[in-house]
Amino acid sequence: MSDNKEPKSIERRRFIRSGMQMALAVSLGGVAGISFLKATPKDLVWQIDPFKCVQCGRCATECVVTPSAVKCVHAYALCGYCDLCGGYLKPDANARSTAAENQLCPTAAIKRKFIEEPYYEYEIIEDLCIGCAKCVAGCTAFGNGSFHLQIRHNLCKNCNDCAIARVCPAEAFVRVPADTPYLIKGDFTKGGKGKKA
Amino acid sequence: MNRKLVNIVLIVLAVAIVVVIGKDFIGKKAGKNIENPYEYNIDEFRQVDSTQILYTETLNFPVKVHDWGGITVSDSMIIVATTNELIKFNYSGKEILRKSLIDTATCITIDDNRQIWIGMRHYVVMYDLNGTLVKRWNSFGDRSVITSLAVSGENVYVADAGNRIVHQCNTNGQILRKIGEKNEQKGISGFAIPSPYFDVAIDDGGFLWAANTGKHTFENYNPDGSLRTSWGITSFKVEGFSGCCNPAHISILDDNSFITSEKGMPRIKIYDQHGQFTGVVAPPAAFDGSLAPDIAVDKQHRVIALDFERQQVRIFEKKQE
Repeated sequence: MSDNKEPKSIERRRFIRSGMQMALAVSLGGVAGISFLKATPKDLVWQIDPFKCVQCGRCATECVVTPSAVKCVHAYALCGYCDLCGGYLKPDANARSTAAENQLCPTAAIKRKFIEEPYYEYEIIEDLCIGCAKCVAGCTAFGNGSFHLQIRHNLCKNCNDCAIARVCPAEAFVRVPADTPYLIKGDFTKGGKGKKA
Repeated sequence: MNRKLVNIVLIVLAVAIVVVIGKDFIGKKAGKNIENPYEYNIDEFRQVDSTQILYTETLNFPVKVHDWGGITVSDSMIIVATTNELIKFNYSGKEILRKSLIDTATCITIDDNRQIWIGMRHYVVMYDLNGTLVKRWNSFGDRSVITSLAVSGENVYVADAGNRIVHQCNTNGQILRKIGEKNEQKGISGFAIPSPYFDVAIDDGGFLWAANTGKHTFENYNPDGSLRTSWGITSFKVEGFSGCCNPAHISILDDNSFITSEKGMPRIKIYDQHGQFTGVVAPPAAFDGSLAPDIAVDKQHRVIALDFERQQVRIFEKKQE
């Protein structure tokens, strides 16, 4: 009878080799997995739920970016009758126009484009908007709420613990998938979330 | 000695840093009230001088349903159309009839012959007082959104917010005329109706009044469809109308005074026959939320409101002199 047992030194070498191979495979798999997860929609970013926002003004004052990465957006598909409604205007405005002295906006960031009498399309000049939500308050109180705030992700630093989310009194800051980072009224409400547009 | 001094300074600095950080952390916590430098305070528009409030609420009773089409009154009855039921109450709030409707009601009115007309989204039906279906008209098309009905003699006026016109029909649903259609050659700018709030009513002379809600105006039409007169006041103040789609609901008393109900900042007001602000029936403080209550009026000049937020029928009567 021959002795098939291998020497102890060879066993140890094989054990170390297979262990290293295993470690390499695990680390490569881990890196691949992390990369995959990063590339998938499970990546989350901050966004404002417009139905929870109470227009407290903190988006303008608490963001780490100056001016704030939070901007007003206009859900034109929801309502584009600003000139008739006047919700974005000062109560004592001397004309229904986007002239700076008539707007509630402290930086006159609202401009309009004539469509046909009596309709205009309203746009927000992002460079001017400071996210104060004053126009949003007027639009929500008197109009259909088509003006609302959103975090603009081309400006947002995506802080892990958003400085505004920490102080938001309405818990309106939510984490949303990075591939669908905006919650525009009329768009995401169509997805069957059961919210009124 | 020096080391001791340095330690004291360091401890004081550390305490100061902790205090500043703590104050910032606690002081700005979500629940804390921080002054808003950009605040837009609309509360001042909700305030109404008590001398301007001419009516008082004398009764209310619950109507527990998910949604309503509207409210109308006749003699001693209050009739509410819910999304799928017709409910009759007496003025004490006692339910005296409840019948199923064939579809989802959007509005209701009752004519002089005590026939109940109900607008569905695209068509009109007529019920008798016992809740039996008598007539069903053809559809006004997929684009139509019927928001109000008014009956004057043999004319039934159908407010269609989808097409932004008032259909003048006979009682069988045959369209006789389209009123308020945009016509640049005739100089008619048309109705501006941003959302499905478009009410019509008939005055004491049988003439049609339509609320052009996008322009905050009342428009009065002859039976031939021509514009007779109009009035309106755009203002954030109590005597005017503001925001999107106001007045959302209207009714006309038999002295031709106008009762108006507004959305956004809900309130019910009264104007004289010339459109002059007379006073307030119910101020914003009387309502929750932002929905405009539907309104109806009776011969005793009571204002009966269907409050969608509180799920109540509310009766307002003029204060005694």
